[in-house]
Amino acid sequence: MKCKKIEELLSPYLEDELNPEEKGAVANHLKTCKKCSLLFSLMEETKESLADFPELEVSENLLDRLYSIPSKKKKFKLRLPNFDFLVRPSLQPVLTVATIVLIMVSFYFFGPNKSSIDKSISRKIHLGYSKIERLYAKAESFTASLGEHKDNILVSLKNIKLLGGNED
Amino acid sequence: MLVNTYSKRIFNMAYQFAGSYQEAEDLTQDIFLKLYNSLSKYDFKRNFSAWLLTIARNYLIDQYRRTKWEKKTRDDFNDHYLPSEAFEDPEEGVVKEENKRTIWQGINNLTSEIRMAVILRDIQEKQYEEIAEIMSLPLGTVKSRINRGRLQLAKILKEKKERRNEM
Repeated sequence: MKCKKIEELLSPYLEDELNPEEKGAVANHLKTCKKCSLLFSLMEETKESLADFPELEVSENLLDRLYSIPSKKKKFKLRLPNFDFLVRPSLQPVLTVATIVLIMVSFYFFGPNKSSIDKSISRKIHLGYSKIERLYAKAESFTASLGEHKDNILVSLKNIKLLGGNED
Repeated sequence: MLVNTYSKRIFNMAYQFAGSYQEAEDLTQDIFLKLYNSLSKYDFKRNFSAWLLTIARNYLIDQYRRTKWEKKTRDDFNDHYLPSEAFEDPEEGVVKEENKRTIWQGINNLTSEIRMAVILRDIQEKQYEEIAEIMSLPLGTVKSRINRGRLQLAKILKEKKERRNEM
């Protein structure tokens, strides 16, 4: 096996994870190759040194900071509710329309001509009503006149050849 | 409580990864803040410890990429790690302490992913399967990264020894 391939197998060899065939091949290579043998012993030293790094204790200062995190979060929430959604670009047309409507409503409620606006609105409404009533009356008279001439119209329609009427 | 159970583990992981005591304290605080924000997303089928370490690992690597700690120097090994117990052979003790210092500084030469894999395996002594879960990587990739990390550190140790012998 080449040194490059042996390097890939050094960790599994160190941790005894190779199958017997690979294990034998690595052991034989290490016996004959000084470079790989040195690398392997340094890898052993590295692993041993890393395992020997002690665990540090957490300082009182850091513990205080960690204990205060949940209460900090709560206070933050109470003071500043999240209104981020209001600044979304998609909401801008809606907010513009809402502003215009509010301005118009405020003109109506707080303007000096509220009573005259009310009067003109009710006049418009009455005019609208009377127009609808006139149209309704016209429609009724048209229906009545149609009823009177119904028979004549039917005879005339039958006499039109295109509609399949006879000549009698 | 979460702080009592996990603060030491997270702080040590952050210190081993970042190499700066002050930085590790700030990172630990940020990781706990992130943890409290993510608790509602925790899937009860998952191992809690592995889930928390995944949050820590993601945060540390993100911060590393953003701030490029590799350009900074690490704290001196003896700033916070006191020398180990006395050895029968004083010379052997000196060599071992020197090795540890070299490897501690050498961790800075590893990429973030390799560094994290080596810390989890060789310092925190986790199982390969657990490391694969924490790092969200296939088992084979984890093993090959750890091998590469160990080889890099072994080569750094070799150079250091050669320089010492030349002197």
